[in-house]
Amino acid sequence: MRRILVVLPFYGGSLPIGRYCAEALRSLGCVVEVFDAPGFFGAYTAIKELKVALEKQEQLQSGFITLISRAVLAKVEHFDPDLVLAMAQAPLDRQTLMRLRKDGVPTAMWFVEDFRLFTYWQTFAPYYDIFAVIQKEPFLEKLAALGVSNTLYLPLAAMPSIHRPLELTPAERALFGSDISFMGAGYPNRRTAFRHLARRNFKIWGTEWEGDTELAPLVQRAGERISTEDTVRIFNASRINLNLHSSINAQPPVSEGDFVNPRTFEIAACGAFQLVDKRGLLAELFDPEDVAVFDSLDALMQKIDYFLARPEEREAFAARGRKVVLERHTYTQRMRSLLDFARAVLPARDRQPAAWPDNLPESLKKDLAALLDTAGLPPSADFDTVVAGLRSRQGNLAPLETALLFLDEWKKYYLR
Amino acid sequence: MTDYLVFQLARFGDLVQTKRLLLSLAALSDIRVHLVVDRSLGGLARRIYPFTLVHEMCCHGGNRSEAEVLAENAAVFAELKSLHPERVFTLNFSGLSFAISSLFDPDTVRGYKRANGQNLRSRWCRMALHWTGQRRISPLNLEDFWAYFADAPIAPDQVNPHALPAGAGEIGVVVAGREARRSLPLEVLLPCLEGIWTALGGPRVSLIGSGSERLAARRLIRHASPALSRRIRDLSGQTTLEDLVDIFSGLDAVVSPDTGAMHLAAHVGTPVRAFFLSSAWVFETGPYGEGHRIWQAARSCAPCLESAPCPYAVSCLRPFAEAKLRTPAGRAGDWPENLVEMESALDALGVTYRPVRGEYAEDVARLRARTTLAGALGLAYGTPDPSISGQLMRESDWILPNF
Repeated sequence: MRRILVVLPFYGGSLPIGRYCAEALRSLGCVVEVFDAPGFFGAYTAIKELKVALEKQEQLQSGFITLISRAVLAKVEHFDPDLVLAMAQAPLDRQTLMRLRKDGVPTAMWFVEDFRLFTYWQTFAPYYDIFAVIQKEPFLEKLAALGVSNTLYLPLAAMPSIHRPLELTPAERALFGSDISFMGAGYPNRRTAFRHLARRNFKIWGTEWEGDTELAPLVQRAGERISTEDTVRIFNASRINLNLHSSINAQPPVSEGDFVNPRTFEIAACGAFQLVDKRGLLAELFDPEDVAVFDSLDALMQKIDYFLARPEEREAFAARGRKVVLERHTYTQRMRSLLDFARAVLPARDRQPAAWPDNLPESLKKDLAALLDTAGLPPSADFDTVVAGLRSRQGNLAPLETALLFLDEWKKYYLR
Repeated sequence: MTDYLVFQLARFGDLVQTKRLLLSLAALSDIRVHLVVDRSLGGLARRIYPFTLVHEMCCHGGNRSEAEVLAENAAVFAELKSLHPERVFTLNFSGLSFAISSLFDPDTVRGYKRANGQNLRSRWCRMALHWTGQRRISPLNLEDFWAYFADAPIAPDQVNPHALPAGAGEIGVVVAGREARRSLPLEVLLPCLEGIWTALGGPRVSLIGSGSERLAARRLIRHASPALSRRIRDLSGQTTLEDLVDIFSGLDAVVSPDTGAMHLAAHVGTPVRAFFLSSAWVFETGPYGEGHRIWQAARSCAPCLESAPCPYAVSCLRPFAEAKLRTPAGRAGDWPENLVEMESALDALGVTYRPVRGEYAEDVARLRARTTLAGALGLAYGTPDPSISGQLMRESDWILPNF
């Protein structure tokens, strides 16, 4: 598994996760290309706002999806990946998946969504060679019933290069800090819970909080989308980061679902303190001393008071939580698990490593070693892997890099 | 003084056909023109383009190892990158050009380039792709195609001298081209050569070719008429490309198939007498300048792909065997079908070829295409034909940005 094509969705929560996966795969020595679906999103928006007959608009949207699928196929044809990793909502229609299977190109989906809410998995899961999920039973059983055999439980994670402790300025602490904060969308259960905190030093960040007069004074920046960078600042600046998993039902506010959201790992990776609601799969990811958990609204209110009064206990939780995430819950570790699983369940592809030219001068060998090191590739990387990495590079290349690309073309003309 | 860099990665003939572009760039003020060619062509490039700074790299095959290609090119690329050229011209549609363009800021590159990992070709190259799909009406010679990479190409009559005999009583005969099917076999070539030789008054003949063409040269001498044979000296395998510049300068004519040597003869102003058949198409790669005469096989299947097997047993050879090449142009006679004798001419767009014997069915359409292309280039040149315009330019050529 040396070449991976990561297919991003147009938008949504799985978009940054896909980018983290790409970076993590690179850190594992893979040559990664990203199908950047968001780059096409403007065309979709323009079609949506075309103001034409509904049937025409839907035809155009359908044609748009077909175009994007063809673009993915072209990318696969050009890059010749060992694995296509699609994130949830990635623009791969069934025809494209069937074509990839026919062409012997392995595909994997990391479905980082709640299977009970996003039910479309039933339609396309059988078309993937690997289906990784963030939930266990009964989801795995349901997938098996559909004939999906290569399923993998792959919980979410954090990206330590992004989610990290920050030295904040006093101004940043004033802007982003509070006793209590919440970063996320205004789901019904959160609205119910947070009304109980309306008189506290509480800041709510994120979108979809409109229409709630009681919470409105707490909502920051008029409910606009918060960047990843500012999210990390908020995590770092808050004494208590509330982490209440979403539910589309207002009651109960603590839904006791199963999967663990990315925020749990991200806050912990920042070395920040969080109060997270009890989840069915949380205990196998964190020990009780790693994160502070609440299982009811009453418990939440009590623990807020308790921990606000005990900064040293907050710090101890935060330090342990960060340590656990760095050890066990990074995207690099998740991608390593995925690649190990893929190697175990997928047939090996018949790709012979391409040898480096014989009799390279010593000075050139040193330059090549430095080039591999800079590119984050292992010294054992073969010629084709390095060339594939250079082909996907943004910006101008250095003379030796250009000479390698040229040599690859030259070989096509004169040696192959 | 700023630097312009021209990559000509192809062969001998392509190098000579880069002349109009190089002269056009050199005519700009405060521009230093660098030319990058394969090592085998460095000497010739310096000889024929003394106004450029020639750089050599490993483009072509040969005996070089992969390690040598990598090491030598890495050093050359370091030198070229350090020039920080204001403009880079990549002329050849090949992976080699795309790879080389990665060295530079994509905004400086004209022709074929890679930007952020994506291969791209300029609008002008895209347009050329459209007309190369309709070679029968091909509106532009390759030398002119490359010339229009420049903003303001020099006038066509400033490229090569008007071809005139040197008056030395000697002609050159290029024994064979690199591509066998594009060259007349001996049994067809000899009668044609005898006809031309007779028409020129029986001058001395120098046979030109590489070492690998010695055998063909000897066969030609052996089978030539005694009168012709006595006048031949065999220079095959004895000349460098640079030698040919001097040799051709002293000749009254050069007889050749479509070869690099033919272009070199045009470069020095020696009249060319050339045979075009199979994949060779005079409207694409004919000799540049006035004073040249060519014979083009014009069967409806022409021009073909050299690499594809011929389903007609190379029947485009037949009219050459039937032609009476010594008959002066214009005289009525039994001129064979599917052969057109043409003479070169210049107009505002570049070089063109006018039939003087035989008929070329698409000549009117080709001239319309030429007029239309000239209009697209902003040259005052007659009335464009909208029906042909649609064949030369596609929507993507003007709706989408250039590059």
